Amino acid sequence: MSGSDLLDRRLVVVTGKGGVGKSTVSAALAMLAARRGKRVLVAEVDARERVAPMLGGRPSGPVIREVLPGISTVDVDPRHALEEYALMVVKVRAIYQAVFENRVVRFFLRAVPSLSETLMLGKILHEARSESHGRPRWDLVVVDAPATGHAVQLLGVPRALLDTVPGGPLRRDAEWMQALLSDPVRTAVALVSLPEEMPVTETAELDARIGKELALPRGPVFLNAMPRELYTEGERDQLRAVVGAPPPLGPAARAAVLQAEQRERASAQAARLRELVGRPLVPLPLLASDRWGRRAVERIADAMEGQI
Amino acid sequence: MGALLHSLEGKRVAVVVGSGGVGKTSVSAAIALSCAMEGGRALVCTIDPARRLATALGLGTLGNAEALVPPEAFARSGLAPRGQLFAMMLDVKRTWDDLVARHAPDAATRDRILGNRVYQQVSGALAGSQEYMAMEKLYELSTERDYDLIVLDTPPTSHALDFLEAPDRILDFVGNETARKLFAPAIDAGRFGARLLQAGTGFVAKTLSRFTGSDVLSDVGDFLGQFQGMYDGFKERASAVRTLLTQPEVGFVLVASPSPLSVDEALFFHDHLRKAGMPVAGAVSNRVTPDLWPFPGGTPGAEAISAALSAALASTGPGTEDLAARLALTLQEHQGFARSDAREVERMRRGAPGPHVAVPRLEGDVHDLSGLAALAAHL
Repeated sequence: MSGSDLLDRRLVVVTGKGGVGKSTVSAALAMLAARRGKRVLVAEVDARERVAPMLGGRPSGPVIREVLPGISTVDVDPRHALEEYALMVVKVRAIYQAVFENRVVRFFLRAVPSLSETLMLGKILHEARSESHGRPRWDLVVVDAPATGHAVQLLGVPRALLDTVPGGPLRRDAEWMQALLSDPVRTAVALVSLPEEMPVTETAELDARIGKELALPRGPVFLNAMPRELYTEGERDQLRAVVGAPPPLGPAARAAVLQAEQRERASAQAARLRELVGRPLVPLPLLASDRWGRRAVERIADAMEGQI
Repeated sequence: MGALLHSLEGKRVAVVVGSGGVGKTSVSAAIALSCAMEGGRALVCTIDPARRLATALGLGTLGNAEALVPPEAFARSGLAPRGQLFAMMLDVKRTWDDLVARHAPDAATRDRILGNRVYQQVSGALAGSQEYMAMEKLYELSTERDYDLIVLDTPPTSHALDFLEAPDRILDFVGNETARKLFAPAIDAGRFGARLLQAGTGFVAKTLSRFTGSDVLSDVGDFLGQFQGMYDGFKERASAVRTLLTQPEVGFVLVASPSPLSVDEALFFHDHLRKAGMPVAGAVSNRVTPDLWPFPGGTPGAEAISAALSAALASTGPGTEDLAARLALTLQEHQGFARSDAREVERMRRGAPGPHVAVPRLEGDVHDLSGLAALAAHL
């Protein structure tokens, strides 16, 4: 599937191996959607918040806050998700406090099958389907999901609940959550990878698990930090011959040879990933800026423009 | 031998920690490899489900049991170890099951626990479960096996402290006295959900069952009841693990890439290890961009490079000028990466005093034994 209609979904889950740039891609997707006039919520999952600072704002914490026109962020954590959900169930704050802020009950709740994940996912999915004045509250919810293993655990929660919980409110919630997650019209799981051996291998495995094990609709695969093609093979050979030259030529030639080699390895890995996942990738440029901020996110969003 | 390997000499256990994607697995394997090269019996234990270590060691797949890296794999990479290198992958669920089997009073109790849905969640999916079992496995290996060095590649925790706190957190629940009292009627009388609703504890339980459904409550009750007799054994073992981690024969190795987040995480971990009295053997700044322009002033412009390039290639013209312009840009960008990396390496060095090594970004990924050996040479 191409990513052409990605931003028309209601829910885009972004995941991948640790350190590949999931938050950057999430922030850039939000920025692109906002440029197209959409109201976007970016949800991080019990993380050290990164998206809001990247966009130039303060961290939102557990309360949704607008960081840029059209873009709001939130960091969903289990404690606040529990509180919100429990209050919806028991309605009265005093009862909530008496029951749920009891230490023993807290212990108890930890052992309830995947309760934390359920509540966090539930809160996010609730935002994705909530409406006000007859229209969706958000045109798009982007989930900056945890890395590989934890993401599979998080996204697998509704199914796991459907398998293990025979009835009751948790099961009813699991049912609508699974329906939303697995609906290819409303939802897509986008992957982020790097053009390096191990991330490519892991991305391909993750892609297969999302498709087969979780049976969720797969979105585009973003290939982050792709070096530019700057030198022809002939130029590279010429430069290799002068890496030992005195400055300035020697160091410049060495930097160029390193860059060209990096580009070559990256291209080979990109080809491998494309083959493994069986669909086109969305390459994103390796940025030279040594600070990650709104400018960098804008450049990534620029690069996405026209590709998704 | 670099500062890190030197600092690990005489250690029996190395625990490699850091955020995800910084090369922990490769560093772990390289440490174990260098011990094996020097004549030791070394084991590297990874928890990484992506099987990357297996690939690097030419083992195909890794299981919950230790496998010897075959001599052919070394020969292929032109290495001749004087000792032996073993590798294994931690299977979290299996480790839990083994632990239950070890502590269960009889086969019937063991089977009831293994079949309980709450147990299956606790052992498979509960946050911190991986970390707990990594520590448990480490303890088992270090007390029951005869390795000169065991290197533990830890899970890519999103919360570094899970490592140190997860065992207590999980055991606090299963052994909580108040929980046991609260759920006691159920523990004694099977269908606990129904019993509890009628019993005097009603208010809390009634509210909870509206929240989770009463079947879930009864599963928890069953689980707690079955676990009752085993709690002390578990607790004792967890405390032995903690004690082990404070011994001088153990060394924690912090790994970070030169990125602000990764360094933050490593330093956060460092402080907590210090506070917990756990010995830090050293720190690794991994994949650092080399400094190619250690001269005062900025990188050279296209004109300066163009002149030298024309002389070297014995050609001039627009082609050379264009190439020189790209070279100037590439060197400038390269130095941008190098400067930002150097800043983070320095922050790491200051924040985690002690042995520190900076490993340059190596050509290509580390994906075989010779790659690991090249990495080890920097440690």
